[in-house]
Amino acid sequence: MKPVMLVATRLATFDLRRYLVGALLWMPVHVIPLAGGLVLRQLFDQLSGHRPVGLELSLWLCAAFVCVEVVRGVMIVVAWTYGVYWWCAAATLLRANVLRSILTARGPAASRLPHSSGESLARLRDDVGDTVDFTDESVTLAGTTLFATAALVIMASIDPMITLVLVVPMLAVGVLSRTLRGPIARLHRRSRELGAAVTAYIGDLFGAVLAIKTAGAEEAALERLREHNRRRRDAAVKDRLATDLLDATTGTTIELSIGLVLLLAAPAMRGGEFTVGDLALFTSYIGWLTALPRAVGATLYGLPQAAVSVDRLTRLMARHEDAGDLSRNNGVWLHAGPPHPPAATARPDGGGPLEVLEARGLTVRHDDHGRRGVFDVDLRLERGAFTVVTGAVGAGKTTLIRALLGLLPLHSGTISWNGVPVDDPGTFLVPGRAAYAGQVPRLFSETLRENLLLGRAATDDEIGRALELAAFEADLAEMPDGLDTIVGPRGVRLSGGQVQRATAARALVRTPDLLVVDDLSSALDVETERLLWERIASRGPETVLVVSHRQAALERADQVVVLDRGRVAGRGPLGELLESCPEMRRLWSAERITEAEEGAGD
Amino acid sequence: MRRPSDQGIPPRSSSVLRLLRPGPRPAAALAAAIAAATALPLAAPQITRRFVDDAIGGASIRHLTLIALGYLVLAVAGQAARMVTAWLASRLAWDGTNRIRERLAGHALGLDMTFHGRHTPGELIERVDGDVVAVADFVVAFLLDVVAGVLLLSGVVVVVFGVDWRIGCVLLAYCLLIGYGMARAQRAAVPSAARSRAASATLFGALEERLAGAEDIRANGAGEHMVRRFHQVSAALFRAENRDARVGTVLLAGTSVAFAAGTAIMLGLAAWAMSSGTLTVGTAVLLFQYTLMVRTPFERLIDQIREYQAALAGLARIGGLLAERRTLAEPARPRPLPPAGPLGLRLDGVSFAYPGDDEQVLSGITLDLAPGETLGLVGRTGSGKTTLARLVLRLYDPVEGVVRVGGVDLRAADPASLRRRIGVVTQDVQIFAASVRDNLTLFRPSPGDERLRDILDGVGLGDWLAALPDGLDTEVRDVSAGEAQLIAFARAFLADPGLVVLDEASSRLDPATERRIEHSIDRLLGGRTGVIIAHRLSSLARVDKIAVLDQGKIIEYGRRADLAADPHSRYGRLLDLAGVSR
Repeated sequence: MKPVMLVATRLATFDLRRYLVGALLWMPVHVIPLAGGLVLRQLFDQLSGHRPVGLELSLWLCAAFVCVEVVRGVMIVVAWTYGVYWWCAAATLLRANVLRSILTARGPAASRLPHSSGESLARLRDDVGDTVDFTDESVTLAGTTLFATAALVIMASIDPMITLVLVVPMLAVGVLSRTLRGPIARLHRRSRELGAAVTAYIGDLFGAVLAIKTAGAEEAALERLREHNRRRRDAAVKDRLATDLLDATTGTTIELSIGLVLLLAAPAMRGGEFTVGDLALFTSYIGWLTALPRAVGATLYGLPQAAVSVDRLTRLMARHEDAGDLSRNNGVWLHAGPPHPPAATARPDGGGPLEVLEARGLTVRHDDHGRRGVFDVDLRLERGAFTVVTGAVGAGKTTLIRALLGLLPLHSGTISWNGVPVDDPGTFLVPGRAAYAGQVPRLFSETLRENLLLGRAATDDEIGRALELAAFEADLAEMPDGLDTIVGPRGVRLSGGQVQRATAARALVRTPDLLVVDDLSSALDVETERLLWERIASRGPETVLVVSHRQAALERADQVVVLDRGRVAGRGPLGELLESCPEMRRLWSAERITEAEEGAGD
Repeated sequence: MRRPSDQGIPPRSSSVLRLLRPGPRPAAALAAAIAAATALPLAAPQITRRFVDDAIGGASIRHLTLIALGYLVLAVAGQAARMVTAWLASRLAWDGTNRIRERLAGHALGLDMTFHGRHTPGELIERVDGDVVAVADFVVAFLLDVVAGVLLLSGVVVVVFGVDWRIGCVLLAYCLLIGYGMARAQRAAVPSAARSRAASATLFGALEERLAGAEDIRANGAGEHMVRRFHQVSAALFRAENRDARVGTVLLAGTSVAFAAGTAIMLGLAAWAMSSGTLTVGTAVLLFQYTLMVRTPFERLIDQIREYQAALAGLARIGGLLAERRTLAEPARPRPLPPAGPLGLRLDGVSFAYPGDDEQVLSGITLDLAPGETLGLVGRTGSGKTTLARLVLRLYDPVEGVVRVGGVDLRAADPASLRRRIGVVTQDVQIFAASVRDNLTLFRPSPGDERLRDILDGVGLGDWLAALPDGLDTEVRDVSAGEAQLIAFARAFLADPGLVVLDEASSRLDPATERRIEHSIDRLLGGRTGVIIAHRLSSLARVDKIAVLDQGKIIEYGRRADLAADPHSRYGRLLDLAGVSR
């Protein structure tokens, strides 16, 4: 089965009862207009004198017309509200599966996530929506088919000739709505792209406002904005026009069909075989009949669209996962909360406490030319050792750390834990074996406690100890609600330094065997960093791997690894390296200048 | 009591609306198109009436066929008129709102750095584009749906009055009633719709944060926990959507029933009128069709209520931005700076505090730099180095004292000549998503590709340029920090100023780039006056004077050579500490 059909089938059947009941509830909504047309027919025949005249009967027919609409209204409310659960559940199923894969599946996530999280988000919003809508469209298709079949039978019983002729404009709507949707989607995309270009330009413009103002380039920059605006206008107008064209096609078809009915019915009407009531029935059915070609067009168009969506979603998942994993029913809990997972234990099984972590020949290439990355790096971390990785900007320090932790795909190299090869470092080097505080850390818009624990069980005392180790206790004292303060992008804005120390605390509260910390120098002044390393050495994890260029870290190190353009330029205690490694001497002197200057005013 | 719509609109929003007004000819074309789009559909039921009555009356087939053909022509013409209206309306709306965008961007660019310090580019995107989009959407919809809808509705009512004034009265009353009812019902639906949108925003906001923090989550083994949290947020979204769907569908179904009831009433009235012999069957069909016609404009009008509120809020914020004023006074009699050659710099007792802040950032700064001399500013972060540089660029005016460049008090200097003669290279360089040429000229007319290439060669970007697929026309993407810095130098060379302020890059660059940048600094300072905010003492080896700043005061100032030679100077001690030879 094609992936898209597999996903659609899974979505229809993961909660089969709700899907079928929902679909059955929609059927009356589609079929009831048949009754409305029949009532109108009776009424107009009554009025035009083909039936015995009776005002009372006419009024009863009017009442019946309203009743039909009331029944349909009730069915819409019931069917729609019943269907919300299925729609939300199906979307949640897909989103949760993708999210689980990104956050837990084997293999590094970085290589499959697009550059911007906005792009991944758009997939989780729009591609999931398109896929669920495609499955949902099957109900509309069934309903409109049911209506069209019955309506055509009724109409044919009145006048087969006219009915046959009316099929032609219906087909035209179907073909047009199928063919127009492609260009419309293209125009729409282009209009959105040019809109995004305007937004991006305005952002650039005000980001560079100092450069623009000091260069006196305001007028020229505005002229460029005008150009962007003009391009966007043309695209937006075309987009709107194309969308209108599709709507107008349907409208025109209805009108043309009514005109055709008039044209063809003229002789029959004159003779009385085709009554005014029949005319009313035809005109009322024609409007509803256009729904079928539109639904067919939407499905035909939706299929490739949904196929692309399924493909894009699958590419967010790990390499060994496919559309089957994307649509697997791992449970959806919209009424009751999800069950509690087994409490995250202090230590996953296997491997035993850290004695030695060894990496051999680690190679990561950032680009095809192979100029950037790390190449053939060996690393040996013994229990109790304090290891510092240092080097100039772009030397590959962060890349090395991320590759070791399985956050980046390895080009080659092996990693072993106590001599046993580690198959997937990304899922193996996690708490309590290892914990990591990254260079560009993220906090979430939650309480500080949730941000530190992320589902882990720990007492406030334990959190307090981790915060103290990370030199965060003074910041905590200033927070309005303490550990319950909402932090992150939508909460209390923490400074960059506070964020980095909070993420260090997040790693420390996990009491790992191995603590891995990327550069903290932008978070801490020289003195505080010295204090932090002292505290961690006396009370923190036994084994520490840090990226740093600070004297405080380098002087404390049992082992310094100097990287230069992705390769190891020296390895050993600081003292030895200052003797033997020119790159170390260069870095050390630059660092002394910087740290001296930071204290210049003192 | 003031009506809610009067709140919060500064008086300037009327001038904002004036920007939207189209020229007389497009306006006339639009009016004609709207009139046609209204009149043509109104004529259609008249034709069906003729057809039905004539068919029953036994008219000739030829006659009936002509009527049917007339109907066809009218139908196609009506749809065409609607398309033309839509095209004209959206074009005019885009023109108008683009004028607002340009006006807003121009206004905001003209505001001081005080303003830009308070407003992020993201915020300004929202002001200059987001709010305007809301207004644009509303303007298009207003022309198409509100104006055309009201015209069509009035047309229907007038025509029905002509058919039978009693039925006309009932239709009018019905329209007023249903309009009122729909507006009320819509208002009732707004809170639940807003809650549902908010729940959706929460869900996607949380997802975005989780995706951006995927590595943090993975490395901390918190993946399953996050998936569990996602299920909880999804459940909240479901609850909100469920409530919204209930309210929304009841409204939808209620509207359908209300319109069916209206149709039934009209048909009942027609039946009654026919039984008393005052109405033909054809007229009953006509009334039926007109009643069906009423529905669409009503639905569109009601939809616009929500848009209207968003547009109003947008207009208010646009007006608010236009009401922002410059804080730097324009000189009454602007004096130009000397047009060529290096410019002298003199600060006399300059003190400064940022607006709205009591803290004195600079106090009593006095400095003197002859044309062609260079000054190095030394001091820890927060000592006031960058602020001092901003005063030299006249991004702010001093609270006390005077800044003179080329002998002219900057407050009296002609702003254009000031921008032309004083250049700056900062550490965070903004690269535009535009061609290399535009990134150098900042969209101004190019002095010729030859000169641009020479300048790029000069700053050491020659090889970089040669590797680009389309040369100067290549769109700049993914430049390294070092390359961005060199592009900033290229911009400065292009401007050829008489005084340069260098906020030297503090980021650690690889040694090769560092050398290229130092080379560029030397060239740029040749024959120009320079102020260098130094982050590396080694790069100050070439300056003439040194000022050491601490907490906004100059604690040491003099010729570099003298200070370096003085064993007791702070600068000298600093050099020792850093291990740099004097």
